[in-house]
This record gives sequence, structure tokens and C-alpha cells, in this order.
Amino acid sequence: MAGADDRAARIVAALGGVDNIVEIEPCITRLRCELKDGSIVDEPALKATGAHGVLRSGSVVQVVVGPEADTIASDIEDLQ
Amino acid sequence: MSLRVLSPVSGRTVSLTEVPDQVFAQALVGPGIAVHPDDAADALAPVDGTLATLHAHAFVVVAADGRGVLVHLGIDTVRMKGEGFTLHVVKGESVRAGQPVVRWDPKAVEAAGYSPLCPVVALDVSDDVLDISAAGEPVIAGTALFSWLT
Repeated sequence: MAGADDRAARIVAALGGVDNIVEIEPCITRLRCELKDGSIVDEPALKATGAHGVLRSGSVVQVVVGPEADTIASDIEDLQ
Repeated sequence: MSLRVLSPVSGRTVSLTEVPDQVFAQALVGPGIAVHPDDAADALAPVDGTLATLHAHAFVVVAADGRGVLVHLGIDTVRMKGEGFTLHVVKGESVRAGQPVVRWDPKAVEAAGYSPLCPVVALDVSDDVLDISAAGEPVIAGTALFSWLT
């Protein structure tokens, strides 16, 4: 199994990299991601990190990661 | 062993598909049912276990055998930033089914512009392991909401 940091890094990459992220807010089962450009999100790559689903609405992309959302969000913060 | 999952709130049951949030409506984190809550009250732990995740507006209790139940108090209520929610417990604490976890007021949630619906979700399983009665029924906090088989 890939390490937590690795998972966070892969999620950031699939979201278009650190520069594309405006804000990531964890909410118990999901990462609510506000992006500069929502169109460059790599959905298959997000699913490959174990995401249950990806909900897209313009520049807001919600990545459903399950109850580890808080941990993943703080791992991502460490990368930024 | 079948796990009896208690309703965290009193109210009326609503199908998850009617919850105005695609994560729950599409059962992306698991199957379950929602409750349209009555008045201000303590939200109760649905099963015996550990509070693996705890926010003001939502929590997960993981039973000794690893099964996790998610309770979400209202929809998009993360944006209320805890206002109007009073926690009685801390993250990592052991709770008994029926124990008060957080006091909240569904009417205040509604007044703030959010849906007060409370999804109760069996995490990371398929829907055939749940025995759920039809939605639209009244339910009292601390009584059985559904059974989690196997």
C-alpha cells in the first residue's frame, strides 16, 4: 500500500498541481477543492488514488476519499 | 454478527437518494438512510465504538469489529464552522450506542439556509448488507434505524 504522503502527492498532481489549488477543505468524507482551473483535473488519476468518486462543478471539484479526508487534507497542506 | 444501528436523532426517515448532496444521494461512501430531524436535541452515537472522526457537524463511530457508521448533521453544514453545535465528547473517545455526542438545532441549520437532513451511512460496504425499512417513517433517537448484517 502506498504511503499517505504519496497518496496526497498523487491527489495534488491529479488536481493540476499545487499552483492550481486555491483551497482544500476537508469535510469528513471528501476534499472540497477550489481550483483555479477545474477543467485540467485528471479524474482517472484521482480514482486511481482510491477516491470513491469525483464530483465536478466548474472550479469546485469534490474528491470523495472516505473518512480519511481530514488526514489527507493535512498531508496535502504539508506539501503546499 | 448483525449490528443494530440506532438513529442519532428523532424525526422522519428519508431515502438517501433524496439528500441534496451527491456524495450521499449516490451512496459514494456507503449505503444508509437519512432522517429529517425534529427539534433541537443531542445527536446520539449510533453504535458502540470509538469516535474515529469528529467534527462539530459530523462524526464517525467505528465499532470494535471495524465497521464504521457516519452521521452527518445537516447538509453542507461544514460551512457553519461549528456555530450552534456543542460537542459532548472528544475525538478518539469510546462511546456507547445512544450516548450524546453533540447538541445541535436543526431549525437553526435550516434558518442558516442549509438542509437539516441527517444521513446515517454504513461506510465502505454494498447496500445488500443493510436491512432498512422503507423511508417516510417516524423514528425516535436511540431506537433502531437499520441493521447491518454479517
